[in-house]
Amino acid sequence: MSLPSLNQDQIKKMILSGFGFVFLLYIYFTFFLGPLNKSRQAAQAAIADVQHKIDTSKGEMAKTANLERQAKDMTAHFTALKALNPEGAPIAWFPPRIKGFFADQQIDKVMARLEGTTSFKEAELPGWTKYDWLIDLPRTDYASLGQAIAALENREPLLCIRKLNIHLTAQEPQFQQVTIAATTAIEKR
Amino acid sequence: MALHLNLLHEQIFEQRQRQRDPLKIGIMLLAGCGALLFLYYGWNAYRTIQTKVRQSAVERDWAKIELAVTAAQKRAAELTGMINTLRVLDTYIDNRFLWAPFLEKISLCVAPNAQLTAIEGAVQEDNKGVTANIEGVAAAREPRSAAEDFRQMLLEQLGQNYRDVKVEFKALEDVESTTKIDGMAMPMAHYIIAVTFTLNSVPKPGPLPLRSKQKNESS
Repeated sequence: MSLPSLNQDQIKKMILSGFGFVFLLYIYFTFFLGPLNKSRQAAQAAIADVQHKIDTSKGEMAKTANLERQAKDMTAHFTALKALNPEGAPIAWFPPRIKGFFADQQIDKVMARLEGTTSFKEAELPGWTKYDWLIDLPRTDYASLGQAIAALENREPLLCIRKLNIHLTAQEPQFQQVTIAATTAIEKR
Repeated sequence: MALHLNLLHEQIFEQRQRQRDPLKIGIMLLAGCGALLFLYYGWNAYRTIQTKVRQSAVERDWAKIELAVTAAQKRAAELTGMINTLRVLDTYIDNRFLWAPFLEKISLCVAPNAQLTAIEGAVQEDNKGVTANIEGVAAAREPRSAAEDFRQMLLEQLGQNYRDVKVEFKALEDVESTTKIDGMAMPMAHYIIAVTFTLNSVPKPGPLPLRSKQKNESS
């Protein structure tokens, strides 16, 4: 089939129609199909994101439950450690407590004073502070002192004795004068 | 050959011309393309709506568990923090140098003819070692030997619990005065012993000083 011969007017119309067709295709892809596809792709991305969150969260929840089971004993241990130190300023309760403790060990006139405080270097202990104390025992005997220190180290796991000086008292050589430099770890409250 | 006259030639030609009208063909082609594009758009719109519906469902699911997940994450962070804190605190507790066993060891070494007048001990900064000065007097026929016996005994006793134990005399000198032991006057020697050691195994808190220590000290 041979193409019919086109006159000038028809050729013009065809060219214009061609332009119009291209323009319509542009409009179609740019303003109709494009936004639609974009919207669908965005929705798919959102679904993938949320789905990932859901999948991760399932693992997260399982991990937490597992952690909770594992940490059961630790939580009790941690609570017990925290309960060792009452609320309030340590300067208010520590000296009387030490005095009372040594009085129970038959060592009287004990004085405890605060030397200073420092923060822990460890990043895991941001809420804890080291308190340095100087404890004076003006009159004790070696055996009572040994027993008292053993009891103190057992009863106060967060107390660490850094220095210990034992000297004879001049007037009563059967007794000793003792100075203990100790550090306690106390939670900030 | 018979002569065949087509009287409708002109009409047929015109009809063919009309059928081959490029404008008409173009319009038909456009209409066809338009229909295809419309269908394609419809298909895409359907897929988009499906995706949106799925998105809504997934978001509803997420909304249901989001609070629980956030709470779980918070709890996990708390627990992890607590575990880390506890681990460091446990290390702090385990690394403490316990003085009671050390004092007990010293008391085990003190013979009846020796007396301690001062003990000054300190834990090193890094908690790895201990230094102590022990000052005292020993009385015997050979007071320096008595002091040496004490040093040897101390070395042996401390070596059981601690590492790199060094027990050395910083000073050892005879004293002018004498003391009576079992009714006999004995010369005395004054000594200062420097003790250093690093912590071997951590003795667990618990044992109280032995009765023998009290005996030693009371003598």
